[in-house]
Amino acid sequence: MATIDTTITSPDAPPVQRNGWVYAVIIAVCVVNFLPYLWVVMTGFMDGAAAASRAPQWIFTPTLDAFRYLIFEKGIMSNFMNSLIVALCSTFFSVTIGMFCAYALARYDFIGRDDVSFWVLTNRMMPPVAVLIPIFVIFQTLKLLDTLPGLILLYTAMQLPFVVWMLTGYFRDIPRRYEESAMVDGDTWFQAFRKVTLPLMMPSITATAIFVMILSWNEFAFATFLTSTNAKTMPPAIMAYSIGADIEWNVLGAAVVLITAPLILFVLVMQRQLISGLSQGVVKK
Amino acid sequence: MADLQIAGLMKQFGGFTAVNDVNITVHDGEFVFLLGPSGCGKTTTLRMIAGLEMPTSGRIEIAGRNVTFLRPRHRNIGMVFQDYGLYRHMTVFGNIAYPLEVRGLDKRAIADKVGAVAKTMQITDALQKKPDQLSAGQLQRVAIARMLVRDADVFLMDEPMSHLDAQLRGQMRAELRHIQKTVGVTTIFVTHDQLEAMTMADRIIVMKDGRMLQFATPREIFERPATEFVASFVGEPQMNILDCTLRRGDGAMLADCGPFAVTLDAGWVRANGLAKRDGQKLRLGIRPEHVSVGRDAGETHPVATELYSFEPTGAENLYVLRSGSVQVTTRTSTTETAHLGKTEGTRLAMRFDPNWIYLFDPDDGRTIAYAAASRPDAAEDAA
Repeated sequence: MATIDTTITSPDAPPVQRNGWVYAVIIAVCVVNFLPYLWVVMTGFMDGAAAASRAPQWIFTPTLDAFRYLIFEKGIMSNFMNSLIVALCSTFFSVTIGMFCAYALARYDFIGRDDVSFWVLTNRMMPPVAVLIPIFVIFQTLKLLDTLPGLILLYTAMQLPFVVWMLTGYFRDIPRRYEESAMVDGDTWFQAFRKVTLPLMMPSITATAIFVMILSWNEFAFATFLTSTNAKTMPPAIMAYSIGADIEWNVLGAAVVLITAPLILFVLVMQRQLISGLSQGVVKK
Repeated sequence: MADLQIAGLMKQFGGFTAVNDVNITVHDGEFVFLLGPSGCGKTTTLRMIAGLEMPTSGRIEIAGRNVTFLRPRHRNIGMVFQDYGLYRHMTVFGNIAYPLEVRGLDKRAIADKVGAVAKTMQITDALQKKPDQLSAGQLQRVAIARMLVRDADVFLMDEPMSHLDAQLRGQMRAELRHIQKTVGVTTIFVTHDQLEAMTMADRIIVMKDGRMLQFATPREIFERPATEFVASFVGEPQMNILDCTLRRGDGAMLADCGPFAVTLDAGWVRANGLAKRDGQKLRLGIRPEHVSVGRDAGETHPVATELYSFEPTGAENLYVLRSGSVQVTTRTSTTETAHLGKTEGTRLAMRFDPNWIYLFDPDDGRTIAYAAASRPDAAEDAA
């Protein structure tokens, strides 16, 4: 049995926490995370020779050659626009449709409700590539191959389970009495939903939308198989520069900048909403 | 402003009957309380009046109009929810103005009305704040203001004071009662707090397990409870309820409680036909204020007891006495019992006031005999 040393008395001041090493760990993680990206961005601003040289060059004269090449000779901005349209539209549709579905799952008690929500979740469990061929055939039959509506439709369907699952939880956190109160005050159900529940849900919906947007923007597998020229989005377009024997590293770097910059800017701008949305329901009044 | 009629109201959730055969007639301008323990169906009843829950069967009429299955917005009611139901994304002004905006009033009229109500509820300073910035007492006021701002036929309140501390609750009781009488709108108030119901109500409906036990004025509920449950639910401290057996003593009927027997008033025994219940097991009820405490057992205080615990509440002393296995709480004024011992175990004596003894049926809980001194209310009867 351990004995307690009773001769020890308290020091005059509370012990000082020495947590310096935590910062060392954080800095190390940051370096490991950001250095490769920094290097890719730098490569994007090099000329062909500097990018291809064996010894890494930290000091170089920046040039926009690679961007010029991509934008004016390869017309990558059309891919950029495709990506933008597909990401925005599929986000809009999946969040709008998913919102009502989540509301129904959160608010109404019907037979098989739990089965429905589990079924929705299983849709995300399956690796999407498993249904690549069937979807290709379906798209071919419906003449949706290489069209923007086709991609939008597919992404909307792909993101719906995620939206439904995220939002169901958040809707459950909003007490029903808000709607009831509005209905007693004279609103119809839909007015109560629109004027009371939706404003309260806005942070959560925004956060979900940001996630869906990122997923849609980065989707690669289906975009590669289902598009060729008209509807090609950024990820497959960039893929073209990273295969082959003779990779132009500065062009690849510039392409990476083009595909990641919008997302990074977007998330930086929306950071506040993202965090408040994700933590909603955790901080309760 | 209108009267409210409920007939044969019933609500089932699956196999569970939450509200069973509720019949109420509430007159114009009356302040009526639904009182009962949690899960007794009082909130469900209120929600059915509001239209937030649809009855399984029955009929609800507001001002003679059948509203049984109407949506809430067609009923013209105002409601305060238990946790207020204020919109946290709107200012207090927005919250109070909301029901008016929904009805499409113009901005000036809204501002006037909200201003007037805010003045009544003394929340003018808080109008531009968000609900998050308010204290519980202020939130309460905003919620009530939101109800008052409407020209509703009926006001409904679902345990609106349960989140307030005791002191605020005391203030709000008086204020709410005053406002209700000033505005004069028929109001139904749900609570599990018997003190709230007793102090504010015109009439009280006591509910248990989905059924109405009694619908009467607070005084009648207190003095002439229909069942043992009503008797013990209302009043603080609770009525003492003792198992007893009626038997014939020397010259009078006695209620034998085991360690001691209580002599019953002969006139009362005759009036309630208790003689024929000789030998029956019954339940005897007596309120703490009708048990007097003395130092020595004798003529005035026939029952010898021992002090189990002593609880001074300031103006009054609560003596919890024990005689054998029977425990009796008494309530006496501090001055009256100043001379008595206050340490646990002190030998004391008590006396039951024969004019304030109740007898209940042990099987169905019904009151067999009301206290001799209690009087039925001359005012309109219960449903």
